[in-house]
Amino acid sequence: MSSSARTSVVWLALSALTLASWWLRVVHDHGALSASTAATVGVLAVALVKGRLIIREFMEVRSAPVWLGWATDGWLSVVWVTILVMYLV
Amino acid sequence: MAAETSTASRADGRTLPGDINMWVFVLGDMVFFGAYCVIFMFYRTREQDMFLQSQRHLSLATGVINTLFLLTSSRFVALAVQAVRDGKHERATRLVGVGGLFGIAFVALKIHEWYVLSHHGFALSTNDFFMFYFALTAIHVFHVLLGMFVLGLVVRELRRDDLQRTWVVEAGATYWHMVDLIWVLLFAILYVMR
Amino acid sequence: MSEAAIADKRDLWFCWWVLPFFYSFFGLIFVLLTRVMPPPSPHKTDAQIATFFHSHTTTIQIGFAILMVVIGGSGILNGFVAYEMKRMSVNPAFAYTYIATLAVGAIPGCLMCAFSFLAATFRPDRNVHIIAMLYDVALLTFVGSLGCFATQYLVLGIAVLLDKNQIFPKWFAYVSFWNVITELLAAPVFVFKKGPFSWNGAISFWEGTVIFVIYLNCFILLLRKAVQSQGATEVVAD
Repeated sequence: MSSSARTSVVWLALSALTLASWWLRVVHDHGALSASTAATVGVLAVALVKGRLIIREFMEVRSAPVWLGWATDGWLSVVWVTILVMYLV
Repeated sequence: MAAETSTASRADGRTLPGDINMWVFVLGDMVFFGAYCVIFMFYRTREQDMFLQSQRHLSLATGVINTLFLLTSSRFVALAVQAVRDGKHERATRLVGVGGLFGIAFVALKIHEWYVLSHHGFALSTNDFFMFYFALTAIHVFHVLLGMFVLGLVVRELRRDDLQRTWVVEAGATYWHMVDLIWVLLFAILYVMR
Repeated sequence: MSEAAIADKRDLWFCWWVLPFFYSFFGLIFVLLTRVMPPPSPHKTDAQIATFFHSHTTTIQIGFAILMVVIGGSGILNGFVAYEMKRMSVNPAFAYTYIATLAVGAIPGCLMCAFSFLAATFRPDRNVHIIAMLYDVALLTFVGSLGCFATQYLVLGIAVLLDKNQIFPKWFAYVSFWNVITELLAAPVFVFKKGPFSWNGAISFWEGTVIFVIYLNCFILLLRKAVQSQGATEVVAD
């Protein structure tokens, strides 16, 4: 796959994931805005996937020195886990 | 200065896009924004019902469209970096320009969103949710505007025959993608999570 | 390095050594003695504010009296940094701006707080509402005086990015820019009496202070390197 094609595929995936969160709330859950652990865990998981895609693909960390991959994965882990734990506790 | 560039190949073929200085900035900014979001969560867990009630006044559709604006602009900026590497500077300039337009669209929609909310009586001092909403989105918009300036510097770099340094375009792109990344996090915690 | 070259730099090393001494005094004064860092809460009642001053009168007076003696150190430091900025390839206007913004900033940045606290502790039987007002003036100026400092950080950062002589590494410009953002995030202190955006809040005070301390430590080390790197024959314009 050429790099521009790959970029476009990533963009499509990111856009699809974004639209999915809209569809889930408005269509699947009928616009519900009540507390839901399942929904929130899902939201955070999707955001994590999106974040990692942006980092690894758009920011090209995938082909960068390994320490940068560790640093960005570390950021994703710490921030997301902290948010999730604070939500659940 | 040639010493700044880090796109020289290493033995393992891995290259750092842009330059290490921009990565210091980007990684630091990510840590600080992460801290703001954690602080947001601290206050959210103490007043969960109120946060949920207030969140209802946000337009999810607007959030989605804004997210798509930034994702799309990032795509164009990423394509621009590839064009520069292929030596196609004019194409790269056009791509950065389109990316910048989507950035402007983001800012415009964000200002419209603020206007609508304030029209309905919501402000920084309404309650803790709106305090965070306005403050976090304002700081993010500040980063977007800074990003527009950075993209402007990238365009200037591309249009001058004596410059056209790849690492400058890459560094600008790295910053722009960070702005996109931060928004993905903000979108999740302000608009979608419940 | 020749004797002449070392002797040439003794004045710069004197300036550099003012840094750790000055900031040690700053920490002693503002943290331990006068209790301004971290700031006491804006959420106190007037009576509680008066009690705060009564119970810390001695250390506040000693602390800020010392400040009046050592505050001149900031002048030396500003001159020193401006000199290093003049070694850069950018226009000296940047160095002059650095001095000007900090000279103005010193007044609301720490002196108004000092004088307000000293006035509040000067007459213990003063009306509590007046004491409370002095408290507000002190802490609003201390945390809220952000414009001068934001400009200083911006100017320093831009100068570092544009400097072809690489007196400071470019990443330091970005560290300086972080402080611009934290200064802007202190603006809400004029509105909030509690929460993360009050003058003792997690965002407006704590995160900003952490980032400032990172900046300061980097700056002290980088200034040391800058002095070391100056060649004996380097010409710095007047």
